Amino acid sequence: MNRCKQINQSIRSNSKIMSGIRLTTTVCVVFVMLSSIEAHDQVPGAPQSRPIVIRNATVHVVDGADIINGDVLFESGKITAVGKDVKAPKQALEIDGSGKHLYPGLIEPMTDLGLREISAVEETDDRTEYGSVNPNARAWVAVNPDSELIPVARAGGVLTVMTAPRGRYIRGQTAVINLDGWTVSEMKLKAPAGMYIDWGAMQPRGENAADERTKREQKFTELDELLDSVRRYQKAREAAPDTTATDVRLESLVPVVKGDLPVFIDADRQLEIESAVAYGQAQGLSIVIYGGYDAEACAELLKKYDIPVIIASTYRLPLRRDEAYDTAYTLPERLRAAGVKFAICGEGAGSPGGAANARNLPYHAGVAVAYGLPHSDGLRAITLSAAEILGVADRVGSISSGKDATLFLADGDILETETNVEAAFIQGRAVDLGSRHKMLYQKYKLKYLRSRPVR
Amino acid sequence: MRHTIFLVILHAVLLTTVLQAQSETEAKPIVGLRENPIPGFAFVNADVVVSPSKTISDATVLVQGASITSVGQQQAIPAGYQVIDCAGKRIYPGLIDAWSEIDAKVNESLPGYWNANVTPQVNVSDSIGATVADASKLRSQGIAVRLIAPKGGIVKGSSCVMLTGDASKGRNLLLENAWQHLNLTVPRGGSRARYPNSPMGAVALLRQAFHDAAWYGQAWSAYKATPQLDRPDQNVALQVLGQAIASQPFLIDAANDRMAIRADHFAREFSLNAIIRGSGREYRQLDEIVATKRAYLLPLEFPETPDVKTADAARDVTLQELMHWELAPENPARLAAAGVKICLTSDGLDDVGQFLNQVRVAVSRGLKEQDALAALTIVPAELLGIQEQVGRVESGMIANLVITDGNLFSDETVVHECWVAGERFVMSEGDKVEHPALAGKWELSVRNADGQNVKVRLEIEDDDGKIDGSVFAISVAEKERKQKSSKQKSKRKKDKAEVESTKLQNVVQQRDRLTASLDLGEVDKRLPSGISHLTIITLKSEGGGTDLLAGLRLPGGESQNPPMRRLSDFVESVAQSESDAVDADSEKDEVDAEARDAAYSQVRFPFGAFGSDTRIAEQSTVLFRNATIWTCDEAGKLQNADILIRDGVIVEVGSNIKAPKKCRVIDATGKHITPGLIDCHSHMGTDGGVNESGQAVTSEVRIGDFIDNSDIQIYRQLAGGLTTSNILHGSANPIGGQNQVIKLRWGQTMDGLRMREAPKGIKFALGENVKRNQSRYPNTRMGVEQIIRDQLLAAREYQAKWRRWRSGQHETLPPRVDLQLEALSEVQNGERWIHCHSYRQDEIIATLDVLEEFGIQIGTLQHILEGYKVADRMARHGAMGSSFSDWWAYKFEVLDAIPYNGALMHERGVVVSFNSDDRELARHLNTEAAKATKYGGVPEIEALKFVTLNPAKQLRIDQYVGSLRKGKHADLAVWSGRPLSTLTRCEQTWVDGRCYFDLRKDQELQTRDRDLRARLIQKVLDGGDSSKKSTPEEVAEEDRWVRHDVHCAAHGGHEYDYTGNLRKN
Repeated sequence: MNRCKQINQSIRSNSKIMSGIRLTTTVCVVFVMLSSIEAHDQVPGAPQSRPIVIRNATVHVVDGADIINGDVLFESGKITAVGKDVKAPKQALEIDGSGKHLYPGLIEPMTDLGLREISAVEETDDRTEYGSVNPNARAWVAVNPDSELIPVARAGGVLTVMTAPRGRYIRGQTAVINLDGWTVSEMKLKAPAGMYIDWGAMQPRGENAADERTKREQKFTELDELLDSVRRYQKAREAAPDTTATDVRLESLVPVVKGDLPVFIDADRQLEIESAVAYGQAQGLSIVIYGGYDAEACAELLKKYDIPVIIASTYRLPLRRDEAYDTAYTLPERLRAAGVKFAICGEGAGSPGGAANARNLPYHAGVAVAYGLPHSDGLRAITLSAAEILGVADRVGSISSGKDATLFLADGDILETETNVEAAFIQGRAVDLGSRHKMLYQKYKLKYLRSRPVR
Repeated sequence: MRHTIFLVILHAVLLTTVLQAQSETEAKPIVGLRENPIPGFAFVNADVVVSPSKTISDATVLVQGASITSVGQQQAIPAGYQVIDCAGKRIYPGLIDAWSEIDAKVNESLPGYWNANVTPQVNVSDSIGATVADASKLRSQGIAVRLIAPKGGIVKGSSCVMLTGDASKGRNLLLENAWQHLNLTVPRGGSRARYPNSPMGAVALLRQAFHDAAWYGQAWSAYKATPQLDRPDQNVALQVLGQAIASQPFLIDAANDRMAIRADHFAREFSLNAIIRGSGREYRQLDEIVATKRAYLLPLEFPETPDVKTADAARDVTLQELMHWELAPENPARLAAAGVKICLTSDGLDDVGQFLNQVRVAVSRGLKEQDALAALTIVPAELLGIQEQVGRVESGMIANLVITDGNLFSDETVVHECWVAGERFVMSEGDKVEHPALAGKWELSVRNADGQNVKVRLEIEDDDGKIDGSVFAISVAEKERKQKSSKQKSKRKKDKAEVESTKLQNVVQQRDRLTASLDLGEVDKRLPSGISHLTIITLKSEGGGTDLLAGLRLPGGESQNPPMRRLSDFVESVAQSESDAVDADSEKDEVDAEARDAAYSQVRFPFGAFGSDTRIAEQSTVLFRNATIWTCDEAGKLQNADILIRDGVIVEVGSNIKAPKKCRVIDATGKHITPGLIDCHSHMGTDGGVNESGQAVTSEVRIGDFIDNSDIQIYRQLAGGLTTSNILHGSANPIGGQNQVIKLRWGQTMDGLRMREAPKGIKFALGENVKRNQSRYPNTRMGVEQIIRDQLLAAREYQAKWRRWRSGQHETLPPRVDLQLEALSEVQNGERWIHCHSYRQDEIIATLDVLEEFGIQIGTLQHILEGYKVADRMARHGAMGSSFSDWWAYKFEVLDAIPYNGALMHERGVVVSFNSDDRELARHLNTEAAKATKYGGVPEIEALKFVTLNPAKQLRIDQYVGSLRKGKHADLAVWSGRPLSTLTRCEQTWVDGRCYFDLRKDQELQTRDRDLRARLIQKVLDGGDSSKKSTPEEVAEEDRWVRHDVHCAAHGGHEYDYTGNLRKN
């Protein structure tokens, strides 16, 4: 029995029958029977037209203690009240959250969701632009809102992601998007959210130590020169906007050199992390480390300059043969103990599944909890911490008044695999939790239902 | 006939290369006058090391022509013999270097084997010149005999043995068709498009070629007996290989310790007389190496100092590298001490001039001198069957002698002479002594045109054999000043700068004669301008010193002998004190070396971090008390239950089990115990390349030939509760290679990892991967279906042919053993299970239809991501499905993959498992199982079976593993909580009643390894020479091959290198 579908379909219906009626299982069943036969594409949620209150749920507000049997009221897409026995307007739709857990939407802080469909089919892949210097490439202009991968992630409770281009060096600009909308403009939460650079490109390998030093110095000089020309370009444009020829690459880097646009730096090894931090400081950049495998060794540095780390997946093999088998599992706890700010990312672009399995994000937090991280920090690492690092904590990441009503109701601990999401709201819109997977599931269940011999 | 010995009998007159020498050893007529110098030598007063076990002191060795005619004390010296006084010297037998290789020609015009890697007909002596490359360097190391092998290929051809003299090829060639050379992997630098392109393919090809050679002989015998039969095609490769199998020793290359063991297995399979070309890593699995009972050629190339200069480099270096650096020089000693027959060779040395140095390193690290000498003389001689010609200083042997000033294995000992078949080579050290005679400052009186004697100063510097010289004017003023105060150096320097001078040009030094040109006019205006030629001849004076005679030819053409007078002697005191310092250092080194010896690291199983100190852990009787036990059996989930294991099997599962005597009791209160997890689709633990993609059908290829028991992934997966894994061939071809089911017995031998009870299997593959190669059949799913059907038909006919032959119907040529069809015949006979990579419903049905046509029951359908669409069809066939839990969208054929697949198939009665196909995923199959509950609501007890009992059923090993019940293997995992939970961790993993992973033990191993790393890194740094990273090292054999299925696009983004490290860029 597909419970999530039930509640969801019920809420999504704008029919008069529903208004003011407390949901009952009987009503749900009617809807599920109808919807399961009707195979259709997922439809974006309608704007919230009346207040909704979810009652008696275990509310994981994240920025405070869990509220047992708590209520959350949201109106016009914003959370307006959180607590016990919240007073709701008369016309409010009431949802019984008894026995359920209410969470802020999970945030996958680095992915290529929307930019690719089938990784092996080039024609469906818009992740990597030609050349290696693409600061002007903007992820959000190529996000396909109808990607089959989006509803799959959403159904797992991942309601917000930062999607980013790929590439060998300066990859381009990232965007924080909500996973629901007719067009990308409805999905955008923050764009640009950052500039994405692969720091591995700054550490080329050489034939010997001297050669390596030369090659690396060369890369740094190149980047110095690029950023310097951005600054000069900016001055020239300000001084003489009409006569200074435009350059879209330089233009796109202006907010970076001003320190306004964060730079997400893909770096795993200590050498890379340290050199990225030092470089960022020297150039006045605002940086975030993505990857962060060796980040514990750089903890003092990261703390001193308040540089957060997005841990690129915890289900990850040790980088070096001699390292403990659980090195990646224990990284979040080690960073917490060291006082480094971090978020946990699920299967980033490239891993088996990649964006296709963004839905597995909570299990990456789960394994961190199994290997020492306190449970509440595990949840925070995939919600509020991510929102803070991505610069969207004023909108998402916790269940608090004034924030967007981007939240979901689940039938258990979301860090546990067996838990299912039953209803989800993005900015108050009840979103479709169906997906290609569920459609095919229903279709073939029907096949076997029909083929069952009649007694 | 045993191998063709081409012994060149040498009685040549030596010490001359004159062509006119009268000779009884060749047929060539003499032109002009005959020359007949006396061909005899007598080495007297020497300590003669006759053989490793016998030394005669104060002995005489008589050599006539190329041969030793007599060795002993108080020998009469025949008249006319040249006497060489060897008082204080030692004479050793000339050394034998049993390895070198060159590119060899293949005669393309002869009918050869279908695969260009099999060229047994190559005879390397067809491709070599008169002399051995680097001959003079070899002789400087005392090497008088060297083996030359053909390079490249898998069956490479025959080597030959050469003397290192300067004479003709006819004299130098000692033995043709010495050994036949094999390689168990794909030669480096070759194409990776052609078959074979993996080590397991290389071995499969070898195996087939050996069967073909045997068949070739039988076919020709049959034809000769019955000419009415179809005449077999001529094939020189098979003919030569057949002869070699019968009579020739094989040398098999083994690039690491595992390869050496595999080489031995291969040799046993075909009863070959085999010698193994080792890698220097044999010490890592010494017991197994000893058990091969084979002789080994060992390299003396020891690892370069690991780079640990920077913190980053030190962090990246592996314990394997550090331990290898420390232990490799001990490899020869350890093998010799264990009774392994070894030869020391120059294999891998960049500079063969380092040969003796390296031998001495091996001796300093414990190799007995006697063993070292044997490894350089009598052992290789015996292995080559030339022990009656070379290897000892005895009458009747070829006159290969090394004359030293002491013990060959001491660092200070100098090789003075090397004699090769009576040909004398004096080492060049002597020449150098002559330069200092010239070096220094000389006064030269040159008579000018006016009859005046003009004095100039000649300064000659000897920079390690290179002569530089300048001529300076000597002014009267300078002379005076010099007399007054010769110690005002700075001032003198300044003056000197003003003095006219010229450099000697075109300096040519030839032994005792130096010629140069100069313009004397530039030095002193009184002397003629233009180029004058100077000659200086060094002569031995009566008193034992040297006299110099200068000759000068002025530009005008007139000659004179200007008198030379030495001005001051070259000061060598600095050099002297330096060499003293070196001596002191080396003494200190010796002391340090002794101290170090005590602290050498222990070999571990497997070698490197996380290895075990012992090969096999104890198999104890253990009672786990008070756990939640998930039996995966009819008993279901038992609360507060016990489980007793003994001798590797489960004795009892239940409540309140009485602890037997001598039983370890583990309190498992609050813990959960499940059967050890089973992965039905993995590619770890193999270094054979995963895919042999060179052909569309490779059923002859065996993963089992290349188990890598040192793969760290085994340990990492144990830490996730995994105990059994199905190591499959990749999905590059419709009919792939044979699989190997292993148990994760970390630390055991390659063979010890095999799960013997598991029936045989084979990989098939459908869809996008196998139709991708545009240059061969098939390119569509239609073609895939046809090639499978065609091969099954071929196997059916193959079996019929053999049945007829075996029943005595011999009216045809004898049938050929075809390993490809053998494997498919086993499939047909139900002795080998198909594990078929499949995605789309159409291909699934098509494959089941074909198999049913042949009455074949499929083993499993792997991946089977559209299995949910045809679960009824699968159930009807009895096909089981081994799937990913939730992978999708990585390629087009998995667009319809859904995570409900497992549940839907399960509901229709299909036995379903979830597998990993991935080194990381295999570490948490327990949480993968939970996805069957999440997607489709499979009850947790059934879901856990997706990674325990069900894969056991699929691999047909469920009577041994997969559930916890009496009599089954004691394979189990202990969990901190509910096994399906992401919040749970694995605490212990047991295989066959042995604990292979334990959280606490893991901590101990980490501490142990950290300490060892620290010590070794310190040791490297103490050496003060930590980055010799000059030439990029060749990629190690095991790192040449991927360890995942490259044809599975899901892995595209993985940036792991082959050793499991994450690779950046």
